[in-house]
Amino acid sequence: MFSAIRTLFSYRELLFSLTKKELKVKYRGSALGFFWSLLNPILTMLVYYFVFSIVLRAGIKEFAVFLICALLPFNFLSNSVNYGASSIIANSNLVNKIYFPREIIPLSIVLSNLINFFFELAALFIVLGIMGYKFYIFLYLLPVVIFIQFFLVVGMSLLVSALNVFFRDLQHLITIIMMVWFFGTPIIYPLSMVPERFQFIIKINPMTIYAAYYRNIFYYVKYPEGAGFPSAPETLIALGITLLIFFIGYFVFKRLEFRFAEEI
Amino acid sequence: MNDTKKYGEDRIKNSGNDIAVSIKSVSKKYKIRHEKIPSLKQTILKLKRATYEEFLALDNVSFSVKHGETCGLIGPNGSGKSTLLKLMAKIIQPTSGEIIVNGPLSALLELGAGFHPDLTGRENIYINAAILGMKKRNVDKKLNDIIEFSGLERFIDTPVKNYSSGMYMRLGFSVAINVNPDILLVDEVLAVGDQAFQAKCYKVIYDFMKSGKTIIIVSHDLETISDLCSKVIFMKDGKLIDMGKPLDIVAKYRAYIEELEKKRIIEQQRTERKKIFKTVIEDNRKVIDGEEISKLSNLSIDGETINRFGSGDAEIKSVKLLDEKNKQMDFCKYGDNLKIVCEILFRETVKGPIFGIMITDPKNNIIYGTNSRLNNMKTGWFKKGDLVKVIYKQKVNLIGGEYYITLAVGYSDNKTYCDWVNNIATINVINKNIAEGIADLDSKINFEKINKKK
Repeated sequence: MFSAIRTLFSYRELLFSLTKKELKVKYRGSALGFFWSLLNPILTMLVYYFVFSIVLRAGIKEFAVFLICALLPFNFLSNSVNYGASSIIANSNLVNKIYFPREIIPLSIVLSNLINFFFELAALFIVLGIMGYKFYIFLYLLPVVIFIQFFLVVGMSLLVSALNVFFRDLQHLITIIMMVWFFGTPIIYPLSMVPERFQFIIKINPMTIYAAYYRNIFYYVKYPEGAGFPSAPETLIALGITLLIFFIGYFVFKRLEFRFAEEI
Repeated sequence: MNDTKKYGEDRIKNSGNDIAVSIKSVSKKYKIRHEKIPSLKQTILKLKRATYEEFLALDNVSFSVKHGETCGLIGPNGSGKSTLLKLMAKIIQPTSGEIIVNGPLSALLELGAGFHPDLTGRENIYINAAILGMKKRNVDKKLNDIIEFSGLERFIDTPVKNYSSGMYMRLGFSVAINVNPDILLVDEVLAVGDQAFQAKCYKVIYDFMKSGKTIIIVSHDLETISDLCSKVIFMKDGKLIDMGKPLDIVAKYRAYIEELEKKRIIEQQRTERKKIFKTVIEDNRKVIDGEEISKLSNLSIDGETINRFGSGDAEIKSVKLLDEKNKQMDFCKYGDNLKIVCEILFRETVKGPIFGIMITDPKNNIIYGTNSRLNNMKTGWFKKGDLVKVIYKQKVNLIGGEYYITLAVGYSDNKTYCDWVNNIATINVINKNIAEGIADLDSKINFEKINKKK
């Protein structure tokens, strides 16, 4: 594994180059370009504000903020996994013709989504600042949470990108899985709404714990009545599951990567 | 300049190990699926197991290439050349055996691999160079060289989707040759662009060779191979057939191709002949009417006239033209009685064959044709080894000139032939100035004066 990391390090420029390509291609031809990354979360918040605070009246104060600070991290995961699934096949011309560590392809997808996530966070900061949130109090925790979530995202992306080469209908299945995962994570509802006996299941999902951290960092600084960081055991379990998924993804990918060129 | 020097030093350092690429009894098996890839559902439920057969793309191949050598791989399509390059480039893994590569290696298996159509030429240079393992600062340094070499200065900031395929390849090649590896694998990518650009490409490859780099090249262009290489490997059906000096190996490969070509032509003629039989079968009636017979008497395949065809179950061995006293007849006069005597050897048992004759003029017009069937003759059985004499008695009602005899032995189906020989003999008729044309229609000329009554 260490030699793999060393190889990967020597190919870092390719990784950055492909990440840049992903971002460039995403916004190529659109007039606003990167501004979409800033605009998107703001527009999303406006829509949710209208739906949940005016029409449905969910009873959660400033629901749009409540939602978006858990939604953005989840989008980082789901976009990476959705695009990552087809990434090896989409780059078959490279896989077939040139040698480089194959994990660079899904990694470049994850990295480009991570950068996108940063832009969205920047937009979020602006909105929070205007709305008087003191989001800077716990901001030192943010890099740590993102770093840990990054491993979950990478593990999932490696796993699905490798498996999808051999089972092409995984791609369609993933859309469903990600939807179930979305509703299985307290994003549009608070964890306290979940009946006590189901909380155990919801908490096994590491995204639940990470969403709670994000929400504490951004939202509960203004409405501390619902605040409370996940407990240490909960956090450790999430961390353990994240690492498990990461290693499973990594080893499955490494096991299968030699057969990519023949299978595509 | 600096680069060249640096690599030169590297080579001296590496002199303890002068093998660049070593292939040790490498085999590669591919699974050829009969159906599409099974879906997840099918695999889990084991409803359908993918059926496949194994295909041995490489069969126990061993050789090595030294540093500084230029090695050419030649062989027919599907002989395993490209598989070998892919193995050396680590794109695929061998089924068995070992591949050792000493030094940085770059593979030019496809030009412009990874170009994104929406990005500009300049942006794609950076991505493509990174894919080929080049550092960004080196690309910065060489960017102008790359653009200049491609000759695409005017279009470098245009998305490559607007490029012609030639421009695309030129840009791809320009990036690739600037990567500057120690070992370069090239797969049929030298035929790029117009002649001027190709000349530039060859010069670069020569410079590569001169600076002591190792090149392994796959090409069907045997001239190039014998020009460039110091060693050539001849592959066939996944096996290494021969290896050695370029001229020897290329000559061997050429001989093999020629042999193959000969076989192909023979095979083609055979199928062509089968086709002819088919035409005859379908247009049988016309054959009897004598319309399509003209085609049979004037067959050609690829410009080569076919004068004889048939299954060979019977063979027309000889033909003689005799007069009434059974003396050889070199010339004949109008009105002579002519006997055309031929000997036919049966090589297989044939039931009720049809013996036929046809006489044509030099312009291939059919003057006359008949056969035993048209004369309501039953010919009966002929056994293997039977020798048969067939006599056609003709009265030469022909005006002077040369006429040709075509003889045939057909099967009883009146559709297919044991033997058909066009223009097997010539009848020379002495011109007696009795008429013009070909045939004597036995004209009687009368005339009388019809004066108007006064």
